[in-house]
Amino acid sequence: MKRLLSIGLILALALTALPAITLGDGVTLNVWTNMTGVVNETFAEVCREFTAETGINIDYAAPANDYEALMKTKMATEDLPDVFSTHGWSVIRYSSFLRPLNDQLWFGDISEVIIPLITDDDGNIFVLPVDIDIAGIVYNRDILAEVGVDVDDIVTWTDFAAVCELVKEAGYIPVYLGGKDDWTIGQFFDWVAPSFFVTNEAENDRDALIDGTFDWNKWGALADMFADWNQRGFLNVDAATSDYATCTTELGLGNVAFEFFGNYAIVDANKAGPANLGMMPIPAYFEGDTPTLIAGERLAMGVWKDSKHPEEALQFINFLARPEIMSKLASANGALAGFESVESDTGAVAGDFEKYADVRTFPYFDRIYLPNGMWNDLCATGLGILNGSMSTEAIVDYMRESYLEKMDLL
Amino acid sequence: MTQRTRAIMNLFYLPALLLFAVFVVYPFFEGIRISFTNWNGYLPNYRYVGFANYRRLLTDPYFSSVFWNTILYGFGCTLLQNVLGMGLALFMDTKFRGRGVLRAVVYLPAMIAPLIMGYVMFFVFQFSGGALNDIMLLFGGERVDWLAVPGRTVTIIVIVNTLQYVGVAMVIFLAGLQNIPAMYTEAAHIDGVGSWGMFRYITFPLLMPAITSSVILNLIGGLKLFDIIRALTPPSPSTGAASLSTYLTYQYANVERAGYSAVLGIVTFVFILIVSNLTMWFFDRREAQML
Repeated sequence: MKRLLSIGLILALALTALPAITLGDGVTLNVWTNMTGVVNETFAEVCREFTAETGINIDYAAPANDYEALMKTKMATEDLPDVFSTHGWSVIRYSSFLRPLNDQLWFGDISEVIIPLITDDDGNIFVLPVDIDIAGIVYNRDILAEVGVDVDDIVTWTDFAAVCELVKEAGYIPVYLGGKDDWTIGQFFDWVAPSFFVTNEAENDRDALIDGTFDWNKWGALADMFADWNQRGFLNVDAATSDYATCTTELGLGNVAFEFFGNYAIVDANKAGPANLGMMPIPAYFEGDTPTLIAGERLAMGVWKDSKHPEEALQFINFLARPEIMSKLASANGALAGFESVESDTGAVAGDFEKYADVRTFPYFDRIYLPNGMWNDLCATGLGILNGSMSTEAIVDYMRESYLEKMDLL
Repeated sequence: MTQRTRAIMNLFYLPALLLFAVFVVYPFFEGIRISFTNWNGYLPNYRYVGFANYRRLLTDPYFSSVFWNTILYGFGCTLLQNVLGMGLALFMDTKFRGRGVLRAVVYLPAMIAPLIMGYVMFFVFQFSGGALNDIMLLFGGERVDWLAVPGRTVTIIVIVNTLQYVGVAMVIFLAGLQNIPAMYTEAAHIDGVGSWGMFRYITFPLLMPAITSSVILNLIGGLKLFDIIRALTPPSPSTGAASLSTYLTYQYANVERAGYSAVLGIVTFVFILIVSNLTMWFFDRREAQML
């Protein structure tokens, strides 16, 4: 009887293992991205297409706001996803964890605009740039028309503030921020800071920011401008407590004139309403300087160098590099594709891309000019201004100390 | 029991001891080691910086508010959950129609993940389109940015956490009430003791073991509160609602100061250890006095 029971138990255990054996003959790749909204849904769809074609399973995760924190934990434990997105940090933060991809057949197809932003000092690239984040300020064309402003007349921040005043008087919200998702505030500073410290050829702090000699008192002018906008009612009342989803909803409903997001926000906004949206360059701070655009990685995917399934991971990367797949993903982001030869639907801003083709582009400020870990200082100090807990002096001190600490200069 | 049997029985402790050593003892001492480094939390290179991270604690502009908030979350939630939990338990212990359903309804929020509870509550309290503001507008009021003022945000978090876990306190007290032998209450009735006297001299003293368990559980839960704060507020401590748990996570994951985060972890551990032991000691004495 005991023997029968033992055999029964063994058979039962074998049966429970059976599905794993039959279904697990294909490899499962862990794939992570930081994407949200429409492009996240499209990426999940692409994963399913890949599995249907190759039999390789994809365990796809997109932890949204927690992506960066979770990736840091994974780097600390050296247990990364097989394929993951690098959200602008393929060289500085992730390169030591990624396999160089220069040997892939598509290497020569990468767009000229993105190559310097994803290449290290030795000429290695570590990601497939599915698309390129070339962005300015998202704006509502109808609101600007209503207040009688030609967007190309907005050259400096003084011009911008004057337009905000008109927009406010017309009953709209000039600029919308979602402080609960405090990256929306960090992004504001990240996009505006170049006009103060980088873009002006006649007077800039590019070298000082990189070599650690930057005079942080200069940051006060930027903090003051933000505080001034808040005081003058240019920002939404709930700028400190709202979230990204509300930003795009209000944008789509036509209640907001400007938002400091990439063109993905237009795609998300269009789900809420039919607002007539466009993209404009970022104004200059100095008289004589010209408006600029921001360029960087958007959806860029790399392969973990210690992946247990390197062949399959590369197969997935090459699947993403197919023109039709790349086009689909770039279109979902409303962005230009990562290869010169691939067309994408940039939707409402297609005309803007053409119009501003000759406008100078600069990388995201924190990715080049701030040491690792300072992005959150942009978010925290911005929130400090909004909730009144930080003065300009406090912000300057806070930024200086954090910068010196992270540059190891304290 | 022979010595050999005892030795064999002691072997059964080993798996638990091993797990405790791997998941509690080792991380604790590793945390102490990291607290003396400038590790950024993910790259393999770092150096030892002595007591620099401990010194930072003294100059950190956010630490005092974070510490104070943690006390508010710990003691505020404990007080509310226990007072309300006790009231609900006494009510639910009486016989009425639909008692079972009502007990389930009160306990239901405890079964939801606190992060989800937090996100649901964000839709209630948010300025634009929030349920509470919609109700205010319906009655001719004005919209309020509920989560904009630090003190108010802390209060909202305490209320939300209490709403979620009051059912747990209620269940503990209900179990305690059902363990009170009927002979005591019957004897008191015969002696003509009123309902307040019954509660004061019979129910409350005999509930002391349940109160001790509930207070300790709620206190530890409140002191390490994380999810609801994270769901309702930004990660940055400048909102004035951060707790030690959210702040140490922020320092590790966002600011990349793993060493300082480890210091905050040690402070949290020591603080909870002291508070929970003092509370246990207090309630043990009360139990001894009352029983």
